[in-house]
Amino acid sequence: MMPKLLFFKLLFLVCISTYGQRTVQGTVTSKDDGQPIPGVNVVVQGTTTGTATDVDGKFSLSLPPGQNTLNFSFLGYVTQTITVGEQSVIDIALATDTQTLEEVVVVGYGVQKKSDITGSTATVGGAELIRQPVLTATQAMQGKVAGVQIISSGQPGSSPQIRIRGVGTTLSGTTSLYVVDGVLTDDISNINTADIVDMNILKDASSAAIYGSRGANGVIIITTKRGSNGKLKIDYNNNIGIRQAANLVQMANSREYSNYVQAATGSAPATSSYDTDWYKTILRNAWQQSHNLSLSAGTDKSTYLFNVGYLDDNGIVVDNSFKRFTMRLNNEYKITDQVKFGLQSSYANSINQNGFNNINIDAYGNVGSVYNDAYRAAPFIADIVDGRYGNTSAYQNVGNPLLDIKNNSIKVKEDRFQGSSFLEVKPLPWLTLRSSIGADLRNTLSRAYNYQFKNDETTFLVSGGNQQNTLSNLSVRNNQSFRWVFDNTFTIAKTFGKHDIVFLGGTTAEKYKFNSFSASRKDVPADPDLWYLNVGDANTSTNDASGDAWSRNSYLARLNYSYDGKYLLTATVRRDGSSRLPGKNRWQQYPSFGVGWILSRESFMQAQTVFDLLKLRASYGKVGNDQIPTDSYIKTVALNLPYAFNGSTSPATNGAQINQFKDPNITWETTEEYDVAIEFGIIQSKLTGEVNYYNKKVNNALINKPILYTVLDADHQVLTNAAVITNKGVEVVLNWKDKINENLSYNVSANATFNKNNVVSLNGGLPVQGGGIGAAQGFVTNTDVGHAVGSFYVLKKLGVFNTDAEAAEYVSSSGKQIQPTAKAGDFKYEDVNDDGVIDNKDKQYFGSYQPVAYFGVNLGVNYKRWDFSMSIYGNIGNKVYNGKKAVRVLGTDNVEKDMVYKRWTPANRSQDEPGANTGNLLASDYFVESGSFARINNLTVGYTIPSESLERFKITSFRVYATSQNLFTYKKYSGFTSELPGDVINSGIELSAYPTTRTIAMGVNIGF
Amino acid sequence: MKKLTFILTSLFVIITLGIITSSCSESFLDIKVQGGETIDADPNLATKLVTGVYNSLTQGDCFGNGDVHGWAFTSLTCTISDDADKGSTPSDQAVPIGDIDNFTLTSTNKFCETIWGGHFNGIGAANQALNALSSSTTIDAAQLKEYQAEVRFIRGYLYFNMVRMFGAVPLVLRVPADLEDAANDPAYSTRVDASIVYDSIARDLQFAIDHLPIKAQAVTGHVTKGAAQAMLAKVYMYRGDWPKVQALTDAVIASGQYSLVSDYATIWRQAGDNNDESIFEIQTGNFNNANLKIDNYIVSQGPRSGGKGGWDDLGYGFNTPTTSLINAYEPNDLRKAATILFIDNSGTHKGTVLWDGRRIPSSDSVQNLYYNYKAYTSMTKETFKIVADKDRPKNVRILRYAEVLLMNAEASLHTGSGDATAQVNKIRTRAGLPSKASVTIDDVWKERRLEFAMEHDRFWDLVRQGRAAQVMQAAGKKFVAGTHELLPVPNSQIILSGGKISQNFGYN
Repeated sequence: MMPKLLFFKLLFLVCISTYGQRTVQGTVTSKDDGQPIPGVNVVVQGTTTGTATDVDGKFSLSLPPGQNTLNFSFLGYVTQTITVGEQSVIDIALATDTQTLEEVVVVGYGVQKKSDITGSTATVGGAELIRQPVLTATQAMQGKVAGVQIISSGQPGSSPQIRIRGVGTTLSGTTSLYVVDGVLTDDISNINTADIVDMNILKDASSAAIYGSRGANGVIIITTKRGSNGKLKIDYNNNIGIRQAANLVQMANSREYSNYVQAATGSAPATSSYDTDWYKTILRNAWQQSHNLSLSAGTDKSTYLFNVGYLDDNGIVVDNSFKRFTMRLNNEYKITDQVKFGLQSSYANSINQNGFNNINIDAYGNVGSVYNDAYRAAPFIADIVDGRYGNTSAYQNVGNPLLDIKNNSIKVKEDRFQGSSFLEVKPLPWLTLRSSIGADLRNTLSRAYNYQFKNDETTFLVSGGNQQNTLSNLSVRNNQSFRWVFDNTFTIAKTFGKHDIVFLGGTTAEKYKFNSFSASRKDVPADPDLWYLNVGDANTSTNDASGDAWSRNSYLARLNYSYDGKYLLTATVRRDGSSRLPGKNRWQQYPSFGVGWILSRESFMQAQTVFDLLKLRASYGKVGNDQIPTDSYIKTVALNLPYAFNGSTSPATNGAQINQFKDPNITWETTEEYDVAIEFGIIQSKLTGEVNYYNKKVNNALINKPILYTVLDADHQVLTNAAVITNKGVEVVLNWKDKINENLSYNVSANATFNKNNVVSLNGGLPVQGGGIGAAQGFVTNTDVGHAVGSFYVLKKLGVFNTDAEAAEYVSSSGKQIQPTAKAGDFKYEDVNDDGVIDNKDKQYFGSYQPVAYFGVNLGVNYKRWDFSMSIYGNIGNKVYNGKKAVRVLGTDNVEKDMVYKRWTPANRSQDEPGANTGNLLASDYFVESGSFARINNLTVGYTIPSESLERFKITSFRVYATSQNLFTYKKYSGFTSELPGDVINSGIELSAYPTTRTIAMGVNIGF
Repeated sequence: MKKLTFILTSLFVIITLGIITSSCSESFLDIKVQGGETIDADPNLATKLVTGVYNSLTQGDCFGNGDVHGWAFTSLTCTISDDADKGSTPSDQAVPIGDIDNFTLTSTNKFCETIWGGHFNGIGAANQALNALSSSTTIDAAQLKEYQAEVRFIRGYLYFNMVRMFGAVPLVLRVPADLEDAANDPAYSTRVDASIVYDSIARDLQFAIDHLPIKAQAVTGHVTKGAAQAMLAKVYMYRGDWPKVQALTDAVIASGQYSLVSDYATIWRQAGDNNDESIFEIQTGNFNNANLKIDNYIVSQGPRSGGKGGWDDLGYGFNTPTTSLINAYEPNDLRKAATILFIDNSGTHKGTVLWDGRRIPSSDSVQNLYYNYKAYTSMTKETFKIVADKDRPKNVRILRYAEVLLMNAEASLHTGSGDATAQVNKIRTRAGLPSKASVTIDDVWKERRLEFAMEHDRFWDLVRQGRAAQVMQAAGKKFVAGTHELLPVPNSQIILSGGKISQNFGYN
């Protein structure tokens, strides 16, 4: 009885507070799956008074006196009219309009009805993204969209790598283009996921062609939230949770280590009573929290949305943290029915303390790494005892990992303003003119301080060793970039009988400027208040600076034509000019065409009952990539190549060389792509799906083509358009949604992408070597004709020699002993060319980091007030190079527990694991492991508290939830993670990866 | 309200048309490279390019793009010989250095590749500089000749190293206009006979002799007439043209610019930089408040922690002197203790106290028993910009007056004129050894070995003397006569040339 009583009380309150007017509120859900529908227009019939539903499908509206009827409308749903009567709460369920499917999606410089689209696009809603406690929307998108591979390190503050439909270049310019409210960018770590309405991904060349030379790696268009017509709405969301390392590698303990070293070297290493687990020493369970508060409201004439967000992510590595504060203000004003303008603006401030990548620098500026040291440090050395560190380097050539962290303080602070403003004029009902200016200003200030410490007994338990920093060092760097983009477009939309025509034309101009300044001094005291260059010794000053600038100018046009809503045609052309290319290659056209046929709307299909939707589409498009260094075609002088005339004590004389060969004919990488797809909906549209085939070919991919050493070039390679690379694949998407009864509804969606990457030609050039990881390993990847970009290319192990005699008997056909220094327990490698020596010519291909397939499964269940969701993501067929294991260079380095127990011994004649050894093994398929994995990316359970019981607190919605990110991973790889971001020719090598983290968090969503 | 719409519409059209017309003028897209100096921007470029040629002598990127005097150089000139072992731990750098030490090296050996690359980098830089000098209008004629002479000296020296190590090599004496030019000109992708390369070297060095100042008139570190004469003498020695060797070494001796310093041990210390004995040495020092060094030269040869460890070691412990070298010294030869850093293996744990007072622990804490003392730098008695840097600068001595004397002696034995015994005895006296009444070729060769031990000469000297196979095989190396007198041509270059660059005999 209680809720009912409360309800009447509330009704009474409402009645007296607004005499004559009354408030009606409720929730709009979808009849199909019971999910709330945000953005539904709720209008008092016959008036302009109205509002829209919020993210949770809720609305609240003041009903003027004498009015009694509400219209609920939303694209793709059948409009419903409700007579309010005496009700004050109206919960309704809208049915999908299977006839029209009028959902509108953003397609670049405009919107289009989803049913009219002839290219390959996908949309992920903000509500789906915000569910995951991760930093960027990109990461939250993982596993949601076919054809889009997201590779994330999980490190605080890091941006994940994104590859849409495979790798189409051998250079690093593979980042997809992000368009945030019209501003073009390649990094969205400044965007608060809570601000996002949706992300539209333009996957194929025909849909990305409107972005021309920016579209080669796909385009992701992000639209941020606007206020909506209605009274003030306040939303507060948070989550607080804990992160921990998942999938740690088990290292040998003191006893196991001692046994292994004894077996490898013949003499027992020193021992102690310590048994340090170095990963435990440097890792921790870390708190993370995020808070968002948004205020929005609007009238017929203007709307606003204000959002502040705060995210605090303490990394799982000791002393690491990332904090981000974001603010957004989006305003829109309608001056007349013909004129409106608006502003979207955001500010983000982030502080990254001891970011994992940043502390990989030792006192000498060499790349060491905390993780690498933790992997190698001997377990019998103490980590820290009474403030003094265990001296790992006195025993072996490895720094104490904890000291690595504690004696460096590296802080990277970024301020970023990003925004755009637009003016839209509709002089005629069929004509829209739109002008918008976007800008993005970034300022990054980095400061690294290396403490001074000696290898004596004030720092260490025992003195000695290599780990010391005799002089403190302070280095600072300031990067500043600014870019603006100015778009002017006109859109003509006309309907003649059954002909629908939309024509878009326009221009865009873009300019970018960057400058960087860095300086350092030594001997700066340890007090953080003194960490300014002027405090340091001026005799140790160094400084450097660099700059960059480029511009682009483009003309674009797009025609959308549909006949009778059944036959569809899209034609796009963009003409792009870039300052980064030489005059004669400066301008390039990017055309695309797409056709579609909605069979299910044909009269002959009306009799059948199988398909509610059946659509065929096909497209061709051409896009480009100009992500090359600005000076790629201009011969420049390499300065500061000095020589020490006048003796070693006076400063050397500055010199120069012209040591870079440039290709003066360099041009854009051009991608051509064919795309065909079938879309369908069956069983009352409960099952919908899409099957897509694409064939993408980069004809003149830029590669660093090796050139003869006799032609002077400092790195012996020249950037030129020489490679032909293809990506062919199939994407399958299936969605099932059903409502069992009023209380229970659910949906399942699954997507899978199969991609095959292949280098077709290098135009006579040498294969491109990559993955140079040092030690005895050399280069472990090769990019050559007939293989995927960045394929692992190493020796093949045939097994392990069981006896010394067996090694001596391993000879070539000419009788030459192939591995003259090998003995029992060593690997036997295949001598492919039978020349009696094992060298680089015996290398073979062992797959690549690129998965054969990747997939996502997403499940959602709503039962009464409970909601449950789960998403799974996985990769199949990708390989990982276990680089950290491969660069074991000393007999005193620690080993993995598995290596202790599985190793070859005269008794256990393993053919997969070598006998105890001192490292420096040759690069072979021993280190190539399967990278296939499947992971429960996210698991969320939520409960919505009945709103009636909260009315007295003015709360309209209240949901509590628990969520877990990366709860469980099934993988074959023995290392930390097979998700390893990196350059296209150096990917999939685990050297010192940040382990995947597991997050468990709780949160609330409150609406006022 | 209609007025507003009209105004805004007109404004839109005007702005859009404005953009189209202004960007069509192309100036919007004409953005110069920011902070990248182009060739025409610097009037002093030619002079800087000359310094840049010297800079190429300091290349030490042995695992990357090029090495001239770094770790690849020490490996292919010392470790390869019977004077030095690979050092460090047995498995450390078994590829590529173990393969060099044992003559199991193949055409994919990284050090052979980077030494080829580094030398051609320097040769290319020299050609660039000569090109710029020939069109320079700002430099006066005499200075111009001197610059050209310096550059040609370095080009000649680099080719001398190349021809000794690889035999026939591509002879590149000009800058290609573009890649097509380089592809069409066979010079870039054809090895020419060693004799043609030697002729080119002789022309370059003769030009240097003709236009360089003597040491007294030259700024420290610049090459001199004496350096060119001594270098050309060495070139002729490899050609067996003894009268020319004798004439050139006589000229250097007669110039009065050089003399033996009294204390052999001090030659490789900072105090010995560019001393009276120095004829040509690669300069190091400081630049931009940092050390200016040849990467890896010092750190690769520094004594390495091993066994019990527990000390801040000096380097990676490579290129360690052999017992064969140690046993070659006569009793009381002062050069032995100046060349070899002996690790205390007496069991008394006294360690080794070095010339600057630094103590190196005894053998239970050190990886190897012997190290190259000529590659030791002192943190306390020498000055460096960054002392903590383990890879500290050290000038690499390429030509010393002692070599002029020994070349002169060897020539005398061939020509019959001059006094070989007197020259050899000058060297022996300084080494604290008794004078000899007369000397043979073998005496000169032995003196060369000990005088220039660990100075990048031994292996190529043995090849010159025609007894490399004999000596290497005696030292237990898998040396194959007729093959291992030369290094393998890098496989990558053969492939890149489409097979036009050939391989040396016996390698594949």
